[in-house]
Amino acid sequence: MADQAPKPSAAPDRSYKRSWKNLLINKRYQLRFTLFMVGIAMLLMTGLGYRVMTKAIEATTVSKTHVLGEVCPTISLLTEDVPPPVVPMKLDEPAPDPAAPAKAADAPKPDAKPDAKADAKPDDKPDDKDPPRHVKVQLDESSLTLTPTVPVWTPPLATTFVDEIAAHWKCQISQEHQLYMLDLGRLRILLVLIGSGLLLVFGLAIYGIKMTHKVAGPLFKVGLYFTKMQHGKLDKVYNLRKGDQLVDFYEHFKTAHAGVVQLEKDDIVRLKAVIAAAEAAGQGEHAAVSELRDMLARKEKALE
Amino acid sequence: MSNIAAPNVPPAVPQGPRPRYKRRLSNYLLDKKLQLRYVLVVTILSGIIAGSLGYLIYQQRHTGSESIEKDLVELAAKFHDRQTDDLRENIPAQMAAEDRNDVFTMIGVGCGLVVILTGYLLIMTHKVAGPLFKISMYFDRMADGRVGVVTALRKGDMLQEFYQSFRDMHEAVRARFVDDNAAIEKALAALRESRNQGDYRGEAHGKLDEELDVLEKHVAQRSKQLA
Repeated sequence: MADQAPKPSAAPDRSYKRSWKNLLINKRYQLRFTLFMVGIAMLLMTGLGYRVMTKAIEATTVSKTHVLGEVCPTISLLTEDVPPPVVPMKLDEPAPDPAAPAKAADAPKPDAKPDAKADAKPDDKPDDKDPPRHVKVQLDESSLTLTPTVPVWTPPLATTFVDEIAAHWKCQISQEHQLYMLDLGRLRILLVLIGSGLLLVFGLAIYGIKMTHKVAGPLFKVGLYFTKMQHGKLDKVYNLRKGDQLVDFYEHFKTAHAGVVQLEKDDIVRLKAVIAAAEAAGQGEHAAVSELRDMLARKEKALE
Repeated sequence: MSNIAAPNVPPAVPQGPRPRYKRRLSNYLLDKKLQLRYVLVVTILSGIIAGSLGYLIYQQRHTGSESIEKDLVELAAKFHDRQTDDLRENIPAQMAAEDRNDVFTMIGVGCGLVVILTGYLLIMTHKVAGPLFKISMYFDRMADGRVGVVTALRKGDMLQEFYQSFRDMHEAVRARFVDDNAAIEKALAALRESRNQGDYRGEAHGKLDEELDVLEKHVAQRSKQLA
């Protein structure tokens, strides 16, 4: 029994602290303001975020086109024409003296009309860029065999070949990397937008509820005093918590409460005086005085 | 016979139609601290979001423009014809102008957003500050000992429940004082009636009469305060 005896009561601690459990006091007011704030932020983030992504996709497409437009160096061995295999050709008939037709061809005919080929100057050489006009052949006189003259193909030096391959693939890999980085950059923008949007929404929701709680808190406290006053209880009014808003409003309430208390006190003073005078005049047992006494007791209790 | 007229206890219902106060532009900012705090938080937040995302939009657009410009320069270096030169000169200028227009559009939309948001938030917070302002005025009257009649809020005001609890409290306090006043009046009348029935001692009788007179004045004054 002794263990269950209440401890000596200390002075009542009136400093209530904010707790997460009772942050939503006035749901209608708090949620309305918080949701408005969150809604605006979400609307802006979604609308502008969509536009950012549209522009980011455009920019990425343009940049990809730019990257793909840069031609990588080619590997000459793989891209140049491979020389055809040498196929000797044997003539069916013995050719006349090669010098005679050559001379006949060189000598212009007297009655021949000048044509385009004849107009050509003898020193005209085919342009380097033009393809060769005639196939060059070698004649083996002993066997009368024509063999096409093949340009001597020298294999590229090993170092040049390796360098070309390295340069080609370095460029290819660099392009692939650039394309990957461009896609990654776009993806990063999307993720940053989504992340910051979610963070903003949650952060704003918490901040909004905390901010409105600083208004709803004093209103809740005043509401409690209203209930007490409604039931005829006019006890002491305590101060607001630190950081609460509506400080001026609360001060107004305190003066109102003090005003009502003063009305009751005035009544008490008057009633006490009348009761005392009535008792002195021998009217103490009068029913009206008893009623006044009851009223006095009630008013005094209200101020406790 | 009592020669004291019974003080008029005011009825709980207002006597006549009260003027209907309407919202006016000049008094939308009733509680500057409360209203501006919320307005500034939301407006600045919206400004930051719109500004940063607007910058991102501009940046992406500018990156695309720069890339196209670079391509055009390379193209012009390869092909020295008039058409390419024209493209190289005109397209960047056109893109820069579009970029600028985009920026101006975004700035305009942002400013519009800020103005509209500020106006809307002022109205929204006014619907909270309005009832609080009205209750504060009643508080001032209560502080002066005047517990009159409380009128209803305007349509569209917030904090209706809170205001109703204030109104209930005010009505209860008022009713109690009215009842007390009536009871005191009744007691006064009864004590004056019974003045000849008691054990009279001159001085005490005079003192009681004096106290009853003071109480009567007190009741009359209270009746005025309850009007």
